[in-house]
Amino acid sequence: MRETRLWSLHILVIPIIAVLLGMHLAIMHYAPVFYGMSVDKAREYATMLERGKSVAQLVIYMLLLVAGLYHGLYGLRGILRELPLTPTMVKVVDVGIILFGLFIFALGTYVTWWTFNAKLGG
Amino acid sequence: MNSNKPTGYDNRLGVKGWVYAGRYTFERYLYLGHRLSGLGLIAYMSLHIIETANRMRGEQAWAGLMGLFASPLFRVIEFLLFVMAVFHAMNGIRLLLVELGFFLGKPKEPVYPYSTSVLRHRPLTYVVMILAFVAVVLGSSSLFFK
Amino acid sequence: MTDMTTTPREITFRVRRYNPDVDIVPHWDEYRLHVHDGMTVLEALHQLKAEQTPTLAYRSSCRMGVCGSCGMFINDLPMLACQTQVLHLNTDIVTVAPLPNYPNVKDLVPNLEPLIQKHAAIKPFIIHTNSQEIDEPTGEFIQTPDERESISQFTHCIKCGLCLAACPTVATDPLFLGPQALAQAYRYSADNRDCGLKERLAAIDVFHGPYQCHMAGACSQACPKGVDPAFAIQLLKRTLVLDSIGFGKKKSSLAKVMPLADVVKQIEEFAPPPRTVGK
Repeated sequence: MRETRLWSLHILVIPIIAVLLGMHLAIMHYAPVFYGMSVDKAREYATMLERGKSVAQLVIYMLLLVAGLYHGLYGLRGILRELPLTPTMVKVVDVGIILFGLFIFALGTYVTWWTFNAKLGG
Repeated sequence: MNSNKPTGYDNRLGVKGWVYAGRYTFERYLYLGHRLSGLGLIAYMSLHIIETANRMRGEQAWAGLMGLFASPLFRVIEFLLFVMAVFHAMNGIRLLLVELGFFLGKPKEPVYPYSTSVLRHRPLTYVVMILAFVAVVLGSSSLFFK
Repeated sequence: MTDMTTTPREITFRVRRYNPDVDIVPHWDEYRLHVHDGMTVLEALHQLKAEQTPTLAYRSSCRMGVCGSCGMFINDLPMLACQTQVLHLNTDIVTVAPLPNYPNVKDLVPNLEPLIQKHAAIKPFIIHTNSQEIDEPTGEFIQTPDERESISQFTHCIKCGLCLAACPTVATDPLFLGPQALAQAYRYSADNRDCGLKERLAAIDVFHGPYQCHMAGACSQACPKGVDPAFAIQLLKRTLVLDSIGFGKKKSSLAKVMPLADVVKQIEEFAPPPRTVGK
């Protein structure tokens, strides 16, 4: 049952990523359309902090981070474990991927919350 | 298992077998493209989270980073990443449907020449590839935004 | 323009040779043979062995595509040698190699033990709640034509092993069950006479199970009997997902037994011979 559940989750997050990533790419690369400002301006420090204050952005980023990390790292685990590994190497891959995922999740979460709480001009 | 029996010369194709294993059809190479684009995307995503964390080092560091990414080389890399993401997403939609058993037809007594589920869902493959192409063409308009 | 798929002519055969007593690695040998219209690769090998290279080793048996013995890698595709006409390959050079992804015993002979072991691992037999009926039948399990059709194509597997030779996952993962075993796992689990999915879960709901199939489709392309193992594997994934959320096969839908007495009653009007079973 366990492998079925892991795979089902991998499949379930596909529409979540498709929608949220689509939104993220559209907002970033079509800033003139969505924000009425140039792409370069949209990437500026102040603009980025301002944008990061919206709750919507916080929620979208957190969801996208979790969904994208799970989906991508499940896929990576699949690719690595399809190689002929010794049982020790299998454990290394499994644990390594989980640790890496937790690290990126922690970093991404910290940065997103830092942006949400950051004071402009300081 | 009889350990006296010779197992034989290792004839496994290995990782080369992911790339080429014989004269198979299109979907066999969509599998390869999906695998490569997936690896590229997870590598990019990890770097992206680490790179955007640079905002905590202050405005100067951030501006330097953005300046680097505005260079033509990086804009080309960015576009290639976009193409990779679109391919992976569109092919992923196809796999999502097909791996749950949709668009593959019904089990039927095989009559020669045999039809296979791979060929039966070819129309879906075409639709997905066309959508990917359209998305890339539309997305390339972003290259003109400054 | 002469149709090259029927014109008898000299064909060059590049055959991969490997003698474990002498060779460290395999090598290629070339032979030339006059091929007539309708000649199969297997017949060509018989002739080569008889006239040019008596030490050539290969498997064959039925010579009509039902036993699955003569699987080989011919012109970069896994095929049954007895079902492949040389001239239909439409080329003057025919390469014949042993099936990839299996240990190579000698010349064109693969060690098919991995195939057999993986097949046995998924319990390829009907598992019914009434195990006494399975061992000592008193009648027939009722299976409608529709119920049969839903698994029929997957029953035609001849265990030739071409699908594992084609599969990119088998190329690197020695523990991957492979298209043949996974298709048979579906064939039995979906059979209306079977309730053994739970018993098979330990073997199939593992990392090296159906989720390492990525629908490359090479197995279905290679299958010489139209089994379409890729189809069975995707249906198996659907079955496993539904089962994991509580929508698995209901015990009440398991095939009932039609006692032999009832069977006899149905056909009495045709005056069958006297019953000898159950006496």
